[in-house]
Amino acid sequence: MARIDAIPEPTRSAVLGLDCPAFPEQPFLSGLPLSQRRVAIVTSAALHPREEPPFPAGTPEVRLLPATLPPAALLMSHISINFDRTGFQRDINTAYPIDRLHDLAAAGVIGGVAETHYAVMGSTDPRTMAATADQIAGQLKQERIDAVLLTPV
Amino acid sequence: MSALAHMIETRGVPTTAIGLVRPNLEATRPPRALFVPFQLGRPLGDPGDAAFQRRVLLHALGLLERSDGPVILEDFPEDAPNEQDTPGWAPPFALPVPAMPPAGGWEAALAAEIVLLRPWWEQAQARFGRTTVGVSALPPEAWPAFAAPFLDGRMPEGTPPRGSAALSLRYLADDLKAFCMEAVQAAGPAASSRQINAWFWSATVAGRMLVALRAVAMASDQKGLQTVARFLVPVPWLPADQR
Repeated sequence: MARIDAIPEPTRSAVLGLDCPAFPEQPFLSGLPLSQRRVAIVTSAALHPREEPPFPAGTPEVRLLPATLPPAALLMSHISINFDRTGFQRDINTAYPIDRLHDLAAAGVIGGVAETHYAVMGSTDPRTMAATADQIAGQLKQERIDAVLLTPV
Repeated sequence: MSALAHMIETRGVPTTAIGLVRPNLEATRPPRALFVPFQLGRPLGDPGDAAFQRRVLLHALGLLERSDGPVILEDFPEDAPNEQDTPGWAPPFALPVPAMPPAGGWEAALAAEIVLLRPWWEQAQARFGRTTVGVSALPPEAWPAFAAPFLDGRMPEGTPPRGSAALSLRYLADDLKAFCMEAVQAAGPAASSRQINAWFWSATVAGRMLVALRAVAMASDQKGLQTVARFLVPVPWLPADQR
């Protein structure tokens, strides 16, 4: 459905017109088998704990999502109105697959689930997010996380 | 997200990204990415389909065990099974056909609709275990009195809950949509997102009111309201003469 010709205008032109950054380096890290890795989610759905204020438009900030936070304690304050939210309303895993990740950990497919997950505002220019990447990577290393799953909306 | 994947892996942690817009993945070239052919907003596919979500997740995580990068860009081989309209779907309740503009005024009409929908919204919370309503920081019963003054070119009374009146209106619109769209999913089979949106924008006072608010905000001489106007109604759901 998100094949380009299925996205309605003007959203189609907007997403295709995004100025995607090019990177001079091409990292590619190897690691342990999946069954030994602890996995964190980084979502661009602008999720945050219910008691926190919404994400401001264009902010490069990151919000921390403790793995113990129940789905009912999370809100979405993404600036865009051009993606579906009805699926997220029925099931948080549609955009933030936290229960599925726990399922895989329980089945031994992955080594474990991180204590902390991360949310950013997907419409923010990533060129403003170097400090955010530093912050996320720093905490990932502190919590000895071996793999990151990034999910968009 | 693919750019952030690149930045995190550069800082020393392996990543795998799910992507919904393939040309952007091709341009950014993250270390590992799975393109999924689903609608925007649903990177894991259909709500409530744990088996399907698990397959998407396994495919994305499986890229971490590959050694043939950089760059690995894969296509998920399945479509989301329930993106098409559900035949025969109808809301589990009937609403009065909204007169435009409402005879007794927008505030009263929206208040009456919220009273009608509230039991269904509460039933939806029991069904799905949560609500996504809350970003406005106002309870549903406060929404009509906050939103209606904008239609008369006035500002609502009191301190705006989210910094400015315009920004508060923008979040109220999110809550109003979530309230109604959760209510209509309280019972019965899952409708497609298109069916839910078609119902909301044509059959509810709330949807009609947001279209009217957008028109007023677009014509306002206040920059904040002009900006917010673009974030109230998705263009495909605007009346043809307002697109």
